[in-house]
Amino acid sequence: MAIKHQQPDLVPLFIRYVGAVSSKLSRIHGIAGRDLEIKLGNDGVIVQIGINAEYSHKVVPDGERWTSEWGVTYEGMRGISQPVDHPLKEPDVSGYIWPDPHKPERMAEIKQAMARYHSDYAVMVDLSCTFLEAGYAHLRGMEKFMMDLHLSRDFACQVLDGLNTYYTALGVHAIEQGIDIIRIGDDIAGQNGMLVPPKLWRELVKPRMESMIHAFRKANPNIIVKYHSCGDFSAIIPDLIDLGVDFIGTMQPCGQQVDMAAIKAKYGDKLAFLGGLDTQQLLPNGSPEEVREAVKDVLRSYAPGGGYVFMPGHYVNLDVPLENVWALLSAVHDYRRYPLNFD
Amino acid sequence: MEISTQDGERSMAEIMKSGTLEKLAQAVLEGAAEDAKRLTEKALSESLPPNTVLVEGLSAGMTVVGGLFRRNEMFIPEVLLSARAMRFGMEVLRPLLAETGAKPVGKVILGTVAGDLHDIGKDIVHMMLEGAGFQVFNLGINVEAHKFIEAFQEHKAPVIALSALLSTTMPQQKAVIEAFEKAGLRGEVKILIGGAPVTQEYADKIGADGFAPDAASAVLKAKELLGIS
Repeated sequence: MAIKHQQPDLVPLFIRYVGAVSSKLSRIHGIAGRDLEIKLGNDGVIVQIGINAEYSHKVVPDGERWTSEWGVTYEGMRGISQPVDHPLKEPDVSGYIWPDPHKPERMAEIKQAMARYHSDYAVMVDLSCTFLEAGYAHLRGMEKFMMDLHLSRDFACQVLDGLNTYYTALGVHAIEQGIDIIRIGDDIAGQNGMLVPPKLWRELVKPRMESMIHAFRKANPNIIVKYHSCGDFSAIIPDLIDLGVDFIGTMQPCGQQVDMAAIKAKYGDKLAFLGGLDTQQLLPNGSPEEVREAVKDVLRSYAPGGGYVFMPGHYVNLDVPLENVWALLSAVHDYRRYPLNFD
Repeated sequence: MEISTQDGERSMAEIMKSGTLEKLAQAVLEGAAEDAKRLTEKALSESLPPNTVLVEGLSAGMTVVGGLFRRNEMFIPEVLLSARAMRFGMEVLRPLLAETGAKPVGKVILGTVAGDLHDIGKDIVHMMLEGAGFQVFNLGINVEAHKFIEAFQEHKAPVIALSALLSTTMPQQKAVIEAFEKAGLRGEVKILIGGAPVTQEYADKIGADGFAPDAASAVLKAKELLGIS
């Protein structure tokens, strides 16, 4: 409802916690995973599938290496896995075997989440690292893939096409399970703007996203399409509107996105927003009072009239003191009721 | 025209520069690697001193790149291509620079701190520094504090530049500063920090000597710390 620009009774919550924070909270509450997130007030759950899913939740001992079905090798590093070797060594995709998106077991976790939560909560499926990030972070390596975009354009396009085929099929299968929101995206922006020229993104990614979203809407015309990038991706927000994206996040407050009220005024009639609260300085280093004020500020900017789901600008990371987690949760519970009142 | 004085030679070089060095800077800006190599060779064949080719050709191009990148008018793929073009030129130039005994502007040890695997920002800082004539010792990613100490002992570079892209790895920048203190070497180095979540305030708090919000600023800051104008 909030995403459809109607004003619900409360601003919905969708706060994510990295594994280590989640474990701490889990010891306190005696439950874990999605149940814990729901218990802490979230109004939806997320299931991640695709290239990003396996590695981002796999906890392996430091220094231990493992290889994914995509042929990417990762190494355990302080609680998370990080890509250390990429399968596309040369700009040639001809010998590469793409994973099969039609394997029924890929839907297993979605089915479980639907059965457990869908009657009361929104279910989002996340396909992110969909295009450029899958190429640069996983399949090819940052420096090489960034230069491929110019030096080996045909190869780069073949990689993006392979990803498009895979994720379109995977997304359609997910949508057929009856989910509410499908999330696509890549980290294509940094602290002060895009990593790649917007023009290049429009040439290489936008048309592929268009065909993907078209297939998603064919599977379910009402599916909510969410786009994610870290950083300041405001340069392509009008393009996302063109593509029929409904919902964007996580709106890290950096670059042009610092002015949250301006973003809401400019695009709030066409897009719903997720995120906005600073996780780089405020959450780890601020006082609980500052966290509380910042929550109010984010709600004041993004929440009026609906079209907003509360989340910090990223996961709550392990450098966030627990008192700030409590401050965050108590403030958001105090001020999320419509009509908004910040007294 | 007979040229016998040194001043005369220089003026001849100036005349030639208006062609080749400008084109060389342009080739770096456009990321045209083969052109950069060819124009470096051409400039040398015109008897331009290697150091002039570096400063007024390759570095001049990278300086423009740095400015455009900083203003969001140039982006990572193109910056990487410029760096590549510069490398092509440097391959020709490097042995000659060594022969002529040209000294680098300064030396910098650079790395992404322990627990952090982000390398692209650091690598852009690397090439901007190199573009400005610094000698850079790039220790890579996930670099433990003691590695910076060892690198300092080996290379005696007076600037240590530390990158951290995660709020959770920023404390490692502090750990490196502490490691230099413990080793009794803090007074011998200037520590420069950067990375997405890093701020001047944080730099002050942990006792770093400098902070740079982007790669082009890192070059300016390194020069400032070494008293180079």
